[in-house]
Amino acid sequence: MRFRPEKLVIEEAVAETSLVQRVLAVLPHTPVIWVGRVKETKGPRDEQVLEIVKFRGRFIKPCPGTRSYICCGYQILNLGIKCSLGCTYCILQSYFPSPNLRLFANLEDMWQQLRDHLGSFRNRVHRFGTGEFTDSLLLDPLTHLSADLVPFFAGEANAILELKTKTTQVESLETLNHRGHTVVAWSLNPDGVIASEEAAATSLDDRLEAARRCQEWGYRIAFHFDPLLVHPNWQQNYTEVVSRLFSTVDPRGIAWISLGTLRFMPALKPIIQQRHPESTILHEEFVPGLDGKMRYFRDLRVEMYRHLNELLKKGCEDLCIYLCMESEDVWTEALGFTPEERGGLCAILDRQALP
Amino acid sequence: MPETDFRSVQFEEVDWSDTTCLITYGPHPEKLLHAIDAVGLLQWPLLQQREDGLLRIVCGSRRLTVCRKLGIEPVPCQVFSTSVSHLTCLRMAIYDNVAQRVLNPVEKSLVLTKMAEYVDRPQLIEDVMPLLDLEPSVTLLQRYEGLQELDSPIVDAVAGGSLHERIAFALRPLRGKDRLAFLKLFEQLPFSVSVQEELLETIMDISRRDGVAPRDVINDKEIRELRQENKRPLRQRAQDIRICLQARRSPRLTARKQRFLEEIRQVGLPPGLRLEPPPHFEGSRWRLEFTFHQPDELTVRLRQVARLTGQPAFRRLLKSK
Ligand code: SF4
Repeated sequence: MRFRPEKLVIEEAVAETSLVQRVLAVLPHTPVIWVGRVKETKGPRDEQVLEIVKFRGRFIKPCPGTRSYICCGYQILNLGIKCSLGCTYCILQSYFPSPNLRLFANLEDMWQQLRDHLGSFRNRVHRFGTGEFTDSLLLDPLTHLSADLVPFFAGEANAILELKTKTTQVESLETLNHRGHTVVAWSLNPDGVIASEEAAATSLDDRLEAARRCQEWGYRIAFHFDPLLVHPNWQQNYTEVVSRLFSTVDPRGIAWISLGTLRFMPALKPIIQQRHPESTILHEEFVPGLDGKMRYFRDLRVEMYRHLNELLKKGCEDLCIYLCMESEDVWTEALGFTPEERGGLCAILDRQALP
Repeated sequence: MPETDFRSVQFEEVDWSDTTCLITYGPHPEKLLHAIDAVGLLQWPLLQQREDGLLRIVCGSRRLTVCRKLGIEPVPCQVFSTSVSHLTCLRMAIYDNVAQRVLNPVEKSLVLTKMAEYVDRPQLIEDVMPLLDLEPSVTLLQRYEGLQELDSPIVDAVAGGSLHERIAFALRPLRGKDRLAFLKLFEQLPFSVSVQEELLETIMDISRRDGVAPRDVINDKEIRELRQENKRPLRQRAQDIRICLQARRSPRLTARKQRFLEEIRQVGLPPGLRLEPPPHFEGSRWRLEFTFHQPDELTVRLRQVARLTGQPAFRRLLKSK
């Protein structure tokens, strides 16, 4: 288990929920503090704590894309916030005011909202992901949520679920009836980058091995080269990652691969400097993008995308490769086409999504 | 107001080193010296009798200092008895000052640290900070509290108004030598506060990236030479340094800008037309600018623009981004 809390803070309103009961069953000896409502505090994260609360907002949110860049148009299924893996570049460090890892336990509301959403847009393809505000599988050994989500999506003809993770906690997926409606995805980086910037996550080999196992169980898999990070010898290092990727998994079973270079809101910069003074990710030059986020200079982004695209296409011509939050001109220069020419990025991914 | 005694005070009765209630900091205003010299002391200082027989200054330290300088002695003063509490005296000092003038940032810092001995933090934030025209916030309180810990040239510069407190706050986490190198640079050349902030960030970024101390970035040969270009006006020198540091921090962007200028030169824009690439070459929003005086001139310009858009070299330039 990658995260085993030493203290649970649970809101009384969700005491009887199945999620709380499951967590308590897995952690029978972990002290529990019952509260009326978890306080919204600022300040450093209490590494030992898991908060379980009643979520009062919308469980489904559109991916926070902006008009200035082309968005993949997927829906976030928001089941919790924050993460214990502590990647130096993680945007969640500046995203939510509350610092602690938090799960939403009123899943009945979530199911209702999900059914309503799917019901009101019957003819559309729905791509959902749970890995935007936390790691999709980090808490799965505690919550067993995948055991509910995967079969649910298996029964939805027009919908798929993408589980994005940097862990290898896939055991519970083995026996689930997914009918091709769940895609399991890993974010990839070279070993050196993982060691320095994703130190608490799993190694590249372990991620690829977990992906291979999922393929064995019939799942389609996906990869996100996001964030691509400039570092000494980045070309060779990413070449090495791609070669290990192709030697471990069958590329025909890859649903999609996304590419996205490091980007962050300016407010994250001092947080990274303060929390991760040894990190070198901020040494490269950055420019403000059209969405206010800091990005590598476009020529460098194009160079990185081209490099990865060529490697990936050489390994498998038919791969569906897309850029995350980039402009049309960068698409054209890096991949040789714009999504618009192929019906738009959403349509490209929708076509790819269903089994 | 607690009961006061009115009396003439000799300087030797005053303990000048007792700073319990001292919240003034910074250069003495010349105007005060002239005023006292011209018409004498209009407002009497307030002191407190101490158990040991000496007097503590509560309000009017500057007036007393000026009187001493001018040799005006004895000085008519109001004097509190020993029974008046320190907090009451301190509040007198604070209210007396804020009623008459805006305290400088160092004085605000003094007020906050002195009041912190008597009131709790929520009260300090909610009651005292607004009194000093400060937004009530923990972060701001911490910044002001740290101000006095800075090197005295920096504290003096902040009190004297030649260094903005925002810059002093930003300098605080640095080493003393680095802070002073920044101070010297900012005092030497006329950078606005926002440009100072930009330079601070740029220099810190270069320092972290290259593994050298910030002071070494500031004092390296190229920057030193630009600083010492005595024939160039100060503003121009400040701008040169800014450009030089930006180029060092963002070599790709700088090279691209230069290439763009070269491309523009090769296209040969008609005089009076100015083409600007998208900011940071991000996105596709170009900007073409021209001015005109008469409708006929506008017609000419528009024709020039139409011809330009047909030129393959111009089209290539827009694409080459
Ligand atoms: S795994 Fe993802 S969510 Fe977790 S710290 Fe890393 S970037 Fe953030």
